Amino acid sequence: MGLFDFMKGKKGIVLAAPVKGECIPISEVADPTFAEEILGKGIAIKPADGKVYAPVDGVISTVFPTGHAIGITTSDGVELLIHVGLDTVQLKGQHFNVIAKADQQVKTGDLLLEADVEEISRAGYDTVTPMIICNSDAFAKIECKTEGMVNAGDEVITCTK
Amino acid sequence: MKTFNYTINDELGIHARPAGLLVKLVSGYQSATTITKDGKEVDAKRIMGLMGLGATKGTVVTVKVEGPDEDEAVKAVEEFFKGNL
Repeated sequence: MGLFDFMKGKKGIVLAAPVKGECIPISEVADPTFAEEILGKGIAIKPADGKVYAPVDGVISTVFPTGHAIGITTSDGVELLIHVGLDTVQLKGQHFNVIAKADQQVKTGDLLLEADVEEISRAGYDTVTPMIICNSDAFAKIECKTEGMVNAGDEVITCTK
Repeated sequence: MKTFNYTINDELGIHARPAGLLVKLVSGYQSATTITKDGKEVDAKRIMGLMGLGATKGTVVTVKVEGPDEDEAVKAVEEFFKGNL
């Protein structure tokens, strides 16, 4: 039995990357709301494209009217927030096409939204995309990937109760 | 128990940043704080709950604070709303 099996035995909850790109430490995100983990622990990805997929099976708990952020709650009780870009609430929906709807059941890999990251960048916004566990206190251990390229669907967070 | 009503004045309403700051603020008090909008009540210590309210400009919310330090807490929360929302 390898280490991975052992970890599986511990029933860690695995979350996938919502978008393709480069992982950076959350502490390097240029917004203290995320960098100082005010919203919770998590990862940050510099997106290579704007297709944002469900990182886990769950229910869409929040879709911001502006389309820049989506909340998902899993059956294990993980409350996740995916926030595309920094300060992008100011764009008021421009360059965002949201596919997911509130209360909708989603599966890992379902397309949630499409963001035009080139246009968002051109408009002067940082497109780095944090994915945060809002109820981090509910977990004993949260392990986050902090570097390297990922494809949407690659494992980036493991949390243990 | 202390309550007050507040009309959201900020154009963007309770989005990620103010929600995070509010959670941080109320977590510093023993009292329980809830925010109600259109009959939907959420715990102000829960980010996801706060953001799920969809409280945008013009929305009236009711803030309720209850606990041993409610006098202090309600003052701080009211100041937060006036300053940030």
